[in-house]
Amino acid sequence: MAQIEIRDVSVDYKRPNSEETFTAVDGINLSIEKGSFVTIVGSSGCGKSTLLLALAGLIPYAKGAITVDGKTVTAPGPDRAMVFQDASLLPWRSVHGNVRFGLELRRWRRDDLDQRVTRFVHMVGLGSFADYHPHQLSGGMRQRVNIARALAVDPDVLLMDEPFGALDAQTREVMGDELLRIWERDKKTAIFVTHAIDEAIFLGDRVVVMGKNPGHIREIVEIDLPRPRTSAMLDSPAFIAYRQKLRDYIAADMASLQMVKDVA
Amino acid sequence: MTRVFYRHQALLSGLISFAVILLVWQLVVDLGFVKAFFLSTPTRMATEFMRQLKTGEIAANLSISLYEFAVGLGLAIAAGGVCGVLASWSRTLEAIFEPFVWFTYSSPTIAFYPMFIAWLGLGAPTIIAIAFLFAVTPIYANTLSGIKNVDQDLTRAALSFGARKTDLFIKIALPGSVPILVAGLRLAVGRALTGVVAAELFGATAGLGFAIAYYGQKLKTTEMMVNLVLIVICGVICTQILSLLEAATDKWRTGPGR
Repeated sequence: MAQIEIRDVSVDYKRPNSEETFTAVDGINLSIEKGSFVTIVGSSGCGKSTLLLALAGLIPYAKGAITVDGKTVTAPGPDRAMVFQDASLLPWRSVHGNVRFGLELRRWRRDDLDQRVTRFVHMVGLGSFADYHPHQLSGGMRQRVNIARALAVDPDVLLMDEPFGALDAQTREVMGDELLRIWERDKKTAIFVTHAIDEAIFLGDRVVVMGKNPGHIREIVEIDLPRPRTSAMLDSPAFIAYRQKLRDYIAADMASLQMVKDVA
Repeated sequence: MTRVFYRHQALLSGLISFAVILLVWQLVVDLGFVKAFFLSTPTRMATEFMRQLKTGEIAANLSISLYEFAVGLGLAIAAGGVCGVLASWSRTLEAIFEPFVWFTYSSPTIAFYPMFIAWLGLGAPTIIAIAFLFAVTPIYANTLSGIKNVDQDLTRAALSFGARKTDLFIKIALPGSVPILVAGLRLAVGRALTGVVAAELFGATAGLGFAIAYYGQKLKTTEMMVNLVLIVICGVICTQILSLLEAATDKWRTGPGR
């Protein structure tokens, strides 16, 4: 059995101010091996973030089962850590204090707590900004803190919900490189949600393509590019072929929706 | 010299305008444009201040007013704070407290003064009750809204790290609502002071407001205005202390540091 098993999972959402529910994702089956990097792409509204939140234990799922190392996911647990799209940093705490926050919540009682915080702040390249507060940092720096906070609690699985979604293209590439550099060290299982196709190919061992209405897995594409990945690969024929393939899948999904609309 | 001037420009300008007003005040009376009965003068008030200081009048009035103010405000902070926190946890409690908030915000509380005298007698307890009623609502309302309007993204992030309810309260809700709590405190301080003075004006046996009413009825302008100035000074000192508190709790906005 793989480290993460998602079996026939569907997630229902209650519409605001009514008893009516609608199905956000349905019939999801996915196995993720320990130490692999899986990216999930799809157009907005395909439920990719919903699936990730269910995996994090932050929202309940209606049907099926999610297990991590054989244990059923019902709530957030120490085996998983989440990186959010908005950095969700405490504005009144410094970089150091924010990385410490995750450890405090996990009841990390060891003497080396502050040393550990310092180590992870350095790891994401913010050594000289440890005393800065979030409002004094750029968007990319805030995401570095976000990532350091998640890594510091030493999770088995790192869940990332469009962490670079709000960054400009250049910063985004740099952050992708950095993320891989950090990930290569101890190869924690990583699940990364994005709507950027290039990012999904560049980072992932596998790319999961999701479709809409309700959210479902459309295709899973193995990315057979050597590691460590470099930005030169972005222009390689293999990369371009993957890009084309993924675009076609997503376009096909959009087109099928369009037809439904036309018929209606 | 010019550098010293620029650095303290705001303070110096304020002091100069204040001095000019005092001087004009003194002159319009001394030169006979306005009768001293209507305005008194700074010098007369200084002399009268020294007299009231010597007789112990000021010490007595100031201490009773400050005592009433401190107890009224303290009770308001305790009750408003506790009720605000409880209401932020329970919608039912919030609904129960709601009519009292409308009541104290929209009615002229001071009109209930005769009833308080009937219940608590003429003296400190009544004045404390009025000050309490004046101050409790902003403390309650700001505590409630500060804790209720906690950033949902921060809460979700904390929950993903396994935060418990107490963590959410102590590490997110409380520090996150400091600015609005301080704003509530600022309102409450002003209202408590108003409550004390207004209640003392209506009927009391001691206090700065009582002294104003007493000398006012005897048409002793100078004696009255000495007490009026004392109240103003109390108000200024209170708001300055609050500004310091605000700056201390807001330090992280202005510079690096844990």
